[in-house]
Amino acid sequence: MKQTWFGLLVVGGIVAVMAPMIVLAAGGTGEGFEAVVHGIEDRYHTHATQIPFMGLISGIARVSTHGGVKGMHVAEFEHFDATVDGDEFNALVEKRAGKGWERMVRDTSKGGANQTLILVRPEGEHMGMLVVDLSGHEMDVVQMSLNPQELTKQLRDHHVGSHSHDSNDDRNYDSKESDSKGEGTESE
Amino acid sequence: MKSIWVWVGALALGIAGAVSAYGQDSLPAPSPIEKTLAARATHTTEVTLDKNMLAFAAKFMDDKDGDKDDKQVKEMIQNLKGVYVREYEFDKDHSYTSDEVDGLRKYFESSDWSPMVHERTKGIAEGTDVYLKIVGGQLQGLFVLDAEARQLSLVLILGPIDLDKISALGGNFGIPKDAVKKAQKEVRK
Repeated sequence: MKQTWFGLLVVGGIVAVMAPMIVLAAGGTGEGFEAVVHGIEDRYHTHATQIPFMGLISGIARVSTHGGVKGMHVAEFEHFDATVDGDEFNALVEKRAGKGWERMVRDTSKGGANQTLILVRPEGEHMGMLVVDLSGHEMDVVQMSLNPQELTKQLRDHHVGSHSHDSNDDRNYDSKESDSKGEGTESE
Repeated sequence: MKSIWVWVGALALGIAGAVSAYGQDSLPAPSPIEKTLAARATHTTEVTLDKNMLAFAAKFMDDKDGDKDDKQVKEMIQNLKGVYVREYEFDKDHSYTSDEVDGLRKYFESSDWSPMVHERTKGIAEGTDVYLKIVGGQLQGLFVLDAEARQLSLVLILGPIDLDKISALGGNFGIPKDAVKKAQKEVRK
């Protein structure tokens, strides 16, 4: 009798753990990037192309930007031939993205051939950004987490670096120019 | 017993006042006219930024070079309560009616908003409207409705605004440069 109860408890525990995973895998109530991609796949009967080594690319982006960009996810739909109703598409993406995401930009063209949706959500010091872009027969879904302060710092450093590099180039150019002028004078 | 009802009444009035004050500072619900315009437009751009998003977006602005103007613009963005931009492009001239333009303007025909510019071209729906929200002598909102032959732009900026710095917002957050500059120029006339 004790063993039966123990067995039932084990089965109950497994069901309790597995049920949410199964529901999430089915794409029914999941939220965020995966849910948006699955939602588009289901609605428009298409499949997203997997980007190989995305985890590695995301890691490199994180390291190279000193945490300015992290958590990159990319899905690409090639040969997207379905007819898209802008309002329906917008509703689908917003619903699948889930709570916390707010639509910041919606850019849409007549006939639905071009659609851009940018959703954002605060993630502590970062800003989560989910971009869904349909352009003709190609759709891209990109999610990333940006740190504005770090990115601004990186851009400033890069700008300062490239600016000083440019001014060096300008100096070199000036010196070359003066050299050539000098040569010209000599030849004259 | 009577005093309790007085307190309850005062509390209810206070809550109602707070709710209405909040409502005035929040971005308006999209007008049904916007939907019909979007259905007709060849290209529609919608940008909606609430207070939190603006405060966060301001962090992307670089003011480390010590530029006083940049710092002031950043502060202004951080203090804004909302930015609402709608831009409709049409493939034919005047694809919208005067009634639709009037309908879009209706929200701002309240005591809080003062019409500053009302420019119209005779016989057609083209023109520019600029409304300002002035609270306690301070500019707390700007609404620009710019109707051109093939383009209709709505820009609503809520929160404390420095008119001298407002043009810096043009080109950012989907705010058309021309619309803001036009408003600034017209208001200064």
